[in-house]
Amino acid sequence: MTRGRQVAAALGLTILAIVLQGALFGEGRIHPFGASPSLVAIVVIGTVRYLDAATALLVGFTGGLLADLLGGSPLGLWAMAFTVVAYVTLQVRERADDGPLVVATGVFAITFLAYALFAVAGTLFGQDTLADPDVVHLMLLPALYTTILGAFLLPLITLLMRGRRVRGWAP
Amino acid sequence: MQSFRRFERSSTLFIGLLVVSFLLATFDVRAQSGGLGEVMRDGAQTLFSPLQKAATAITRPVVGVIDALSNLAGLREENERQRQVIAELEQRLQDTAALEAEIESLREALGFEPVGDLTVVPARIFSNGSSDFDRVRFIDKGSQEGITKGQAVIDVSTGGLVGRVDLVSEHSARVRLVTDPRMGVGIRNKTTGETGWVEGQGTEMRLEMFAATEAVSVGDVLYTDGSLFPPDIAVGTVKRAAESQAGFALFSTVEPQIDLSRLDYVTVVVGWSPLDAVPEAPDSGTFIPDPNLLP
Repeated sequence: MTRGRQVAAALGLTILAIVLQGALFGEGRIHPFGASPSLVAIVVIGTVRYLDAATALLVGFTGGLLADLLGGSPLGLWAMAFTVVAYVTLQVRERADDGPLVVATGVFAITFLAYALFAVAGTLFGQDTLADPDVVHLMLLPALYTTILGAFLLPLITLLMRGRRVRGWAP
Repeated sequence: MQSFRRFERSSTLFIGLLVVSFLLATFDVRAQSGGLGEVMRDGAQTLFSPLQKAATAITRPVVGVIDALSNLAGLREENERQRQVIAELEQRLQDTAALEAEIESLREALGFEPVGDLTVVPARIFSNGSSDFDRVRFIDKGSQEGITKGQAVIDVSTGGLVGRVDLVSEHSARVRLVTDPRMGVGIRNKTTGETGWVEGQGTEMRLEMFAATEAVSVGDVLYTDGSLFPPDIAVGTVKRAAESQAGFALFSTVEPQIDLSRLDYVTVVVGWSPLDAVPEAPDSGTFIPDPNLLP
């Protein structure tokens, strides 16, 4: 797959993830034990492995901005969180070869980091996110569900994005 | 060396994107979700709502099956409970019809004009927010159907207050739920008749009553006081008994009237404005309230 197609595929997957997130997950939809996975986090983590650093960061930012625009939070909060997701994934993407356990641990930790960052930034911007009595529950369970769902979706993303694998920071 | 330069360039981009995010959040919060943020949201909503509606229509059966499977054990019990609710509601409907006729005749006798015209627009929820932290829902009716910002949204099944419309595009609108920390509702405790304020706290709400002389009890139902929302819409039930101590405010926890996991069909009250609730000044003709105080 050419670089342009990889970028287009990454953006397409991000939009699909955003659209499906609201349609499939959340209260009144699939919401086991009061939480749901983050499809955007899976897509950002999955596609960053196949993109150069700048494009990967832009995909993370775009995914987050769309989540802000189609959600209820102030603009920029999810954009910030998913840009960090892309950056951290870039730092550790070489470790993906170490096996599924390492990948699962990485997905869990990165998703939890995104939710924690969102909660802290939300509170700083007056959203009282950390005042929610269920805030820990709302950070841990989505990270766990994202890890489980990632086990099924990451191989599919790999199939879509395959062709040219990027190593290190080089495009 | 070349790799290091790329690393440096990417790190600069990373910091730049973080700064842009921070600025966006700052301006959006300062503009109270208006200004450029509102324009961007409106554009995104117009662009994506057809996709979201289509995705919801396609995935609804799948979600329904998964929901049914996860609730299989409780389905029979739920069915029985719903039957009882229907029986109770039918009885209440009969009682209400008699009461409405009585109220109407009393109004006529006293020359009383009813407050506002509660015209409603039915709508269906087609999407949730983008994460569990979002206390919003998107409905399939927008400005073309008469929806505007600030209107109250009521759950069809429970009759409870769902929230307030806070973003409108042509054929869709965003509703901020009563449980959102940015939402506040003026309430009246029907048991004591005293008024107070309820604020969202994520999954539940917090009750504040600054001038309460009587205690609140578990199970007291709180209704809108008619200041920002139409009057007498159930908001929630007191979860914890409390009383004010030596003139200090009373605080308690409130469970929302609506079941957020069962929200589907709602009605938007389009024929009521907070202006309807403002009484006329006794000696100076019509009192015009400060529009800045209205939502």
